[in-house]
Amino acid sequence: MSSSDLIEIVIASGKGGVGKSTIAASLAIILRNSGYRVIAVDADAEAPNLHLVLGINRWDRVLEYREGRIGFIRDDKCIHCGYCYDSCAFSAIEEKSGRYVINPWICEGCYTCSFVCPVKAISFKYNVLAGYIKIAYNTPYKFPLVSSELKPGRPNSGKLVTEAKNLGRTISGGKGLIIVDAAAGIGCQVIASLAGSHLALLVAEPTPASFSDLKRIHKLTKHFGIPSALIINMYNINNDLVGRIIEYARKENIELLGLLPYDYSVPKSMAMKKPVIHAYPSSEIAKSIIEVCNKLLTLLKDWENWRLKHIPEKIEPFIPVIIKPKELG
Amino acid sequence: MKPLSIKIAFTTDKGGLDDRIVERFGRARTFTIVEVDEKGNILSINIIENPGSRATSGAGIKAVQKLVDMGIDIVVGPNPGPNAYMALIQSGIRLYTLSGQSVKEVLNKLLRDIFK
Repeated sequence: MSSSDLIEIVIASGKGGVGKSTIAASLAIILRNSGYRVIAVDADAEAPNLHLVLGINRWDRVLEYREGRIGFIRDDKCIHCGYCYDSCAFSAIEEKSGRYVINPWICEGCYTCSFVCPVKAISFKYNVLAGYIKIAYNTPYKFPLVSSELKPGRPNSGKLVTEAKNLGRTISGGKGLIIVDAAAGIGCQVIASLAGSHLALLVAEPTPASFSDLKRIHKLTKHFGIPSALIINMYNINNDLVGRIIEYARKENIELLGLLPYDYSVPKSMAMKKPVIHAYPSSEIAKSIIEVCNKLLTLLKDWENWRLKHIPEKIEPFIPVIIKPKELG
Repeated sequence: MKPLSIKIAFTTDKGGLDDRIVERFGRARTFTIVEVDEKGNILSINIIENPGSRATSGAGIKAVQKLVDMGIDIVVGPNPGPNAYMALIQSGIRLYTLSGQSVKEVLNKLLRDIFK
């Protein structure tokens, strides 16, 4: 599908707690009210909470997400040689009153134990329930929400996020805006959120931690060749750093969409489970969010031109560091 | 002696010449593989499943491994993720990054560029 029919906007920050979900919720509402077809996707499968910010507690559909495998030892075959215990790189095999058992919370399903077992006493359970994809078609804000939710202890999954995003695309019918609320960090889930998207909306607060993480997440967006725009949240908590972040954005060709103030209406609205622009429409922050959104709307109207001007020039290479689990000690 | 041929892989969804190049690399559902001879004539078109699309983690690496196993020379798709990118560099497979157009369009342009 051509990118001008469907634009996928990913809200990411690297650092957590800078206001991704708050901003995502309000942006989605304003964009929807401006006439765009909007689909919101919560891609923070480890800690999904966009539905809480939006106050959605009823789901129209809940799909099970199954993947991976967990080993188990068959007592009738086990000869207690302990090879599996010695070979497990994740120390997932435990000895309990003379029996070897696999701890399902730790098992990665790597097959090493079944490989070394001389009597083939280890079998695997496949397609373990690892999470859910939840869909609310009719929210009070007139756009659907697709939320991904990982079960605690299951492997960090880009696949779940990819499937949630694909579902969002299917619902959109290839038209409109997909607002993806990404997880914090720069790991598997965030990579899956960014892959195939068209615009990265980076959120930073003026703290050294957030600035450092902004640079890290921006490296990733450059790697994927995604143009970036920036929102600085809570700018008035540390005015000194704001200048340096703006300077960085200018140098790196990131469009600054605006500054949002620290405003006590935000935590109060979260407690009410209402997006801040609805809970406190005349607050300082609501006005600033609308300003930011107007800038985003201008950008979207001139999308093709803007994209060409802000697309990163070359791929940022990454050197992966490989650490074997045992080396971590 | 085996005649010279070039294998070009495209990241696709359903696969085939009429499909579009998808915006996912490691998690593209299929690769459409077109083999051409030294004059640019199409010898074969195959659609293979991408093992990365089913992987929980390490999707990019699994996808590149598959391409290496298939003896691919050129891959056309979106910008790959960090790990897939590193694997691609080491594999020696040439990467052309673009997405959205149909396989047929890009193939024709590629063949024109290579065999002009």
